[in-house]
Parts: sequence; C-alpha cells; structure tokens
Amino acid sequence: MEVDEKKAHPPYMLIWGVLAVLMLGKVLISMLIGLKWLAVLLLVIVSFTSALLVAFYYMHLRFEPKKLWLLAAVPIPLILIFIFTVMQEFTQR
Amino acid sequence: MSMTATRTDYDLLPYAGEHHEELSFIRKYIFSTDHKTIGKQFLFMSLIFMLLGGIMAMMIRWQLGFPGQPMPGGTLLPETMSPGGIILPEFYASLLTMHGTFMIFFAIMPLLVGVFGNLLIPLQIGAPDMAFPKLNMLSFWLAVPSGLMMLASFFVIGGAAGSGWTAYAPLSADGQYTGVYMGQRLWLLALFILGFSSITGAVNYITTVINMRAPGLTWFRLPLSVWALFITAILALLAMPILAGALIMLFTDHALGTTFFRPAAGGEPLLWQHLFWFFGHPEVYILILPAMGIVSEILANGARKPVFGYKAMVFAICAIAFLGWIVWGHHMFMSGMNPMLGTTFMFSTIVIAVPSAIKVFNWLGTLWKGSIVFHVPFLNAAAFVSLFIIGGLSGVFMASTPVDIVITDTYFIVAHIHYVLFGGSLFGIFAGITYWYPKMFGTMMNELWGKIHFAGTFVTYNLVFFPMHELGLQGMMRRIYDPNNYVYLQHLQPLNTFISVSAFALFAFQMIFMVNFLYSIWFGKKAADNPWRATTLEWSTPSPPPHGNFQQMPTVYRGPHEYSVPGAREDFSPQWESGGAGAPSPTHHATAH
Amino acid sequence: MTSHAAAVGDGGQERLERGFEFYNLKLGMWIFLLSEVMFFTSLIGAYIILRFAHPEQFPAPGTVLSIELTAFNTFMLICSSVTMVKAYAAVQHDDQQGLQVWLLATIILGASFVGIQMYEYVYLVREGFVPIANLYTAEGGPLYGSTFYLMTGFHGTHVTIGVLALTGVLLRARTGAFNSQKLGPVEIVGLYWHFVDLVWIVLFTIVYLI
Repeated sequence: MEVDEKKAHPPYMLIWGVLAVLMLGKVLISMLIGLKWLAVLLLVIVSFTSALLVAFYYMHLRFEPKKLWLLAAVPIPLILIFIFTVMQEFTQR
Repeated sequence: MSMTATRTDYDLLPYAGEHHEELSFIRKYIFSTDHKTIGKQFLFMSLIFMLLGGIMAMMIRWQLGFPGQPMPGGTLLPETMSPGGIILPEFYASLLTMHGTFMIFFAIMPLLVGVFGNLLIPLQIGAPDMAFPKLNMLSFWLAVPSGLMMLASFFVIGGAAGSGWTAYAPLSADGQYTGVYMGQRLWLLALFILGFSSITGAVNYITTVINMRAPGLTWFRLPLSVWALFITAILALLAMPILAGALIMLFTDHALGTTFFRPAAGGEPLLWQHLFWFFGHPEVYILILPAMGIVSEILANGARKPVFGYKAMVFAICAIAFLGWIVWGHHMFMSGMNPMLGTTFMFSTIVIAVPSAIKVFNWLGTLWKGSIVFHVPFLNAAAFVSLFIIGGLSGVFMASTPVDIVITDTYFIVAHIHYVLFGGSLFGIFAGITYWYPKMFGTMMNELWGKIHFAGTFVTYNLVFFPMHELGLQGMMRRIYDPNNYVYLQHLQPLNTFISVSAFALFAFQMIFMVNFLYSIWFGKKAADNPWRATTLEWSTPSPPPHGNFQQMPTVYRGPHEYSVPGAREDFSPQWESGGAGAPSPTHHATAH
Repeated sequence: MTSHAAAVGDGGQERLERGFEFYNLKLGMWIFLLSEVMFFTSLIGAYIILRFAHPEQFPAPGTVLSIELTAFNTFMLICSSVTMVKAYAAVQHDDQQGLQVWLLATIILGASFVGIQMYEYVYLVREGFVPIANLYTAEGGPLYGSTFYLMTGFHGTHVTIGVLALTGVLLRARTGAFNSQKLGPVEIVGLYWHFVDLVWIVLFTIVYLI
C-alpha cells in the first residue's frame, strides 16, 4: 500500500521547480563557463539528471515494476555503442 | 485504488467460446483484425512480391548468362528498359536494386515476421488474438501501399532506383549521378512507410508475448519459434527507427538539397554507411532468427525428439541478437573506415560464430538417434541446417579482414548472402509454410509434389549459388552489367551461362510450389486438427481455428517440444494435456536422451 | 470491469498477472517509446558525429540561435509536462473538471511551443540559416542548418502529433469517457507527452547550449 500512496502523490510541483532551476542552470553554464570541456561535461550531467527526473516521476517509472526499468534501459547501451564507435571514426583523422 | 484501475483491462479480447459476432465480408477478409487473416494477407502479399523479385532475378541472370542478347519477352517492356529486348545498363542497375529491395523488405521479412509472427504468436501462446488487433491491421495496410509504391517507381521518369539495395551515398544522395530522381525518392519513401509498418507490428508482437501468455506458459515453456519471433520483434523495434532516420536524411539530401551525406557541401558519405549498417546488421538477424526458431521446432517434430539443449537455444538466440548490434562495421572493411575499428569489428563478428555453432550443434543433436519422419517440412528444415552451415562458414571468411580485402564486393558475397537468405531463410519459410499450411487453410499440401519441389529446389539452388563462390574468387564483381568488358573475366562466361540456366530451372521449380500452394487451398486433402502429431498449443484447435482461436483459455502443463517422453502413451506429449509424467522441464529431457 | 473482462471472470485477471502487471495499452506505449528513442538516436547521433567531423561548421552557442527565446520555450514545455501530470492526477481522483482544465492547459502550452518554434524558424530563415546547402548564408556551414532543422523539425512534428492526440483525449474526456477505473488513454498520451518533453531537454542542451 505504501507504493500506492506514493503513486497517488508524487511531488509533481517540486519536480517542476527542480526542472526549471536545472534548465536555468544549463543556460548559465553555457553562457558563463569558458572552458569548453567543463561546460560540456556539466551540461551533459545536468540534462541527464533532468531527463531522469522526467522519466522517473512524470512518466512514473519510479513506481513501476523493475522489469519495466530493464525494458526501458535496453536502448541505452546501443546508443552508447553506436555514438562512441562512430565518433572514433570521425575524430581520429 | 489506482492500482486496481491500472489492473483492470478494458480491452481484454474474448476467446472463441465466449463471444460471437458476425462480420461483413470486408471486415472479415479485407480490413480484418483477426491475426490469422492478417497473417494470410501478409502471406499472399509477400509471395506476390517474391514472385516479382524472382522475375527480376531471372532478368539479371539472362543478362549475365547471355549478355547483349534479346531477352525472351523483353520486347514487351518499354523502350526505356529494354529496347529490342536487350536489357539496358540503367535498367540492369534498377533490376539489381529492386530485386534486393523486394526480396529483403517485401518478401523474406514479411514472410518471416508478418506471416509467422501473426499466425504463430497468438496461437502458440494461447491468446485469442494480438494485443492490438487494429494496429495489426494498420501494419498490413501500410505494407501494401509501400510495396506498390516501390513497384510504381519502375514506371516513373528516370526509372526505379539504381543505387543498390544499400543505397550508398553519395550515389543515392544526388539525382544527377544516376539520372534517377523520382525513382530514388519513391524508394526512400516506400521503405520509410514499410519501417513504420514493421514498428507497429513489433510493438504488437512484444506486448502480446509479454502480456498474453496462457496460464502455465512460462518463459522457458515458450516454443522456440515464439522465442525467435519475440527477439526478432525487439530487433525490428530498435533497428527500423535507425533506418527511418537515415532514410529521412537521405531523402532531404536528394529532394531538398541538405547535406548530410553529400561531400560536396561538407557531408559525410561514410555516415550513411554507419547508420545503414547499424540498422542493417540487426536486420540480417531479423531475416534469419525466425527461420531458426521455425526450423528448431520442425526438426524436433520430424525427429520425434525434444529440441536438444532448449535453454542453450534460447540463450544463443539472445546472444546472436545482442552481438548483431556490435558487428555492423564488418560490412565496411573496405570503405576507408578507421583500421582500429576494423579490427574490433573483425573480432566481434567472429564471436558470432559461437552462438551460431551452438545452434547448429543443437540441431544435429536433435536429429541424433531420432526416428525421423521425412515429411516435407522436415526436409526443408534439414536443408536449412545444411545450407546455413555453408553460408555461415563463408561468413567467417569475410569477417576476417585480410581475406575480405580480396573478396569484398565480388560474387563471393553474392553467394554468401544467397546461402543465408535463400538457403537459410527461404528454406525455413518453405518448411514453415508447409508445416502450418493445414492450420492456415484447413487442408494439406500435396506431399509428393512438395517432395519434388524440395528436391528440385535443393539441387538447382546449389547449382546456382555454389559456383558463385568461384566467380568471386576469380574476381568477378557484384552488380556488374557485363563481365565480358574485362578480359580477365571473359573465361568465366560458360560458368555464368551454366548458373543462369540453373537459375531458370530453380525458378521453374518454384512454379510447382505455387501451383501446389494454390491448388491445395481448394482441393487439398482435409487436414486433421493435429496432422503432424505435434505438441504446441496451436494444434489443440480446429484447422483452421475459429475467430478467437480457443474455446476457452488453454492451460499449459509442460515444455514446448516434448516428443517421445519415456512412459508416455504416445510419442508426443502436447502442452495442453495434463497428467503423465507431470511437467518436466525441457532440459530434463535433453539429458534423459 | 467491463463485460469482456467480466465474461472471462478470474481468467482475465490471471492473464494480466502473468505479464507485466499492467495493461496492454501502457506496455505497448512504453515499447513504442523505445523505438522512438532509437529514432531520435539516429538523428542526434548523426548530428554529434557530423559536428565532430566538421567542427568548423558549427559556431559557438548563441551566435546564430537565440538561447533566450528557446529557454523560454523550453520552460513552457516543462510547464506543459506538469499540467499533464496534474490532468492524470485529476482523473485518478475522478475529478472530471480538473481533467479537462489541465488537459486544455497542456494543449495550449504545447501549441504555443510549436507556434514559437515556427516564429523562430521564420526569423532564422530570414537570417540565411536554412537547411538547404547552397542557400546557406549564416555563420558556420550548411551542416549546421541541415542538422538543426532535422532534429528540431522532427521534435516539433512529435509535439504537433502530441497536441492532436491530447485534443482527441480532451474531446473524449468531455463526454465523461474517463474515470479512476478507466484512464488508459490519459495515461498513455501522458507518457508520450513526457517523452517528447524529455527529448527536448536533451535537444535543447546539445543543439543550443553546447
């Protein structure tokens, strides 16, 4: 029943606030941090966090069976494999 | 409260005994939502497209066997294709492209995934229909216009696409290189629509297998065909969108003048190859895995023995499916790709031989000491195994980069792909069609003519494709219009003529199948419910099954391929029958024998 | 529980419990979203790779594209996500009026997102930032224009489809079709909508900010 309670009242407004702040943070990082690699690293981390927040709370993945987590994670290794392999191709010439 | 809300399924479908509804002719046969009808629709559609693809292959073989001579009936074609019956080089390029496209995307793929996916999944898991019957109908009715669009491209100005079924950029990215404008765009759009059809199909199959299995049908009691179709659906789900994205980019390059793949304005042609093969290699397994599942099942039925190493078979399917994602670069060894990547891809590709070999050994183990019934499906399935071994072994040659440098883009590749796609998939399809024909149409196909078709196809098939290995080693390149233009290829002309004559014989033998197939629908012997004495759920229903498939929800008591269980009354123990030796796991059996 | 489910009695319930513990429609939507992930992977992957191959064609963030305008647009899409979950929470509590109001708010926010994107496109095209290689006159190179319009265009198409789907759900909601026992379409249109939002969070970062 505990899960049911959580499902009925996930902190929707709180997540909304966090998402808005993270987005502002991204804009500031992009404008203020001159070091390109640091900016890119921070931006990737922040947008990954925002994406996870949306998936976990707005798409309710947090409250779904773990089997669904597994299913939802299937494309991730494929994406990483593809992008990193092909990047090898185009960065080393 | 919310929990119950999500649990209550308001679109549960009724079984045959629970619900009756008279449907109009159109709803029953044309815009049907019944998975069996859709499967049959896919069957007819893809057999027609396969016939067209076969006719294209015959024209290709005519040009190679008798270059520059007027083709019989060639004068019927428009002047832009074959003036005076002589095939033009442009038309030859279109024929090659469209033969590959039709056979892969409109024949083998819908035959394996569309036909057997639709027919077998609900029947073998004990469901009344697919999870989304209307989406299923959409999937078929997207595939038809897409195929017609592809066919129509022959008759537009400039003819059909001529850049090969792989449509390598920049040849395919700019109309001025080939003179084909409209044809290439129709090719791209048609494939995009087909991709959408495949994705809707895949969503349906995956949902159905996960959510609609009958009670007792645990994951490791699923028939191997369902396992293979399930994994295939996952591959299609994840691979087709990659193709869709790549097609859109190529389309905008071609039609709007963007510059993804056109090097003139800074694009990267190699990116197309990476995207295409990142889709294309999983696609290769989409084209073979269902055939492997079907064959496993039919071999067990013919040998009257359980599938040897059922779990190993399942894990091998999963391993092949995963490895299929990390080997795409082996199609590109000679593309100027980073050599370090080439080595990585070489190793990952050779690793695929391991799960493939596991499957082959398990098939041989299934046959070992069986009391084999040589029915037509069994013969075709056995042919699958033997030809897949040859095709698989020639694949290892190409996977090794030093060898591939010599044989890349030669007829060795043509031989390899036809050994796995024709010798592999198509023999699997023949096995599947003849095996489930009684369930589809309620009649049996003619056994004698089936055997004649099998023997003729097997012999002529090898006469056509085995010599192609030699052509390739001699240096004859694929897609070549007239090898006699090269002095060093001229001595191969007799061999080419021999291959062409054998190909015409191969085509003629397929007519036997076609006549047998059509004749038996109306005049075939009436089929019993379980004519092959098989064990999976679809054989518990009448042939053909009613709308809703089962009278009520079946219960499953045992593993899928339980033949010759010690102590059982008969040499097969159906999944739906309780009692006997209880419900031992399939692995038990494999060790017991 | 409707007549079909009632007709199969306990069997219906049992059929669900062996599967994924939720209904087909929702599982199907999740599976479809996986294929959407791969679709956007091909588009975004092509962008990342082309950018690595030709860094000179991609100027620093903020030089061609307006970060401020798009940040505002992003904020609207985040707001539309929260109105969507509010609509879902409303239907969970049988709050018909809340469902309709929040759905309408989501539709308005989503449509405004598309509108602002259209405005942005018109502005950019006037600046010579176009997808067509030989008409490109803005800073950077034509790959920038090609990839930008491809990614944002397909995302915009998804938002448009989402707005149409939400409108369909709203029209059905007005007839009282949904309640706490029967909310499948509201939930799956929400899943789709949040996914589109999620894609935009990624796109905004890599197209506008990096």
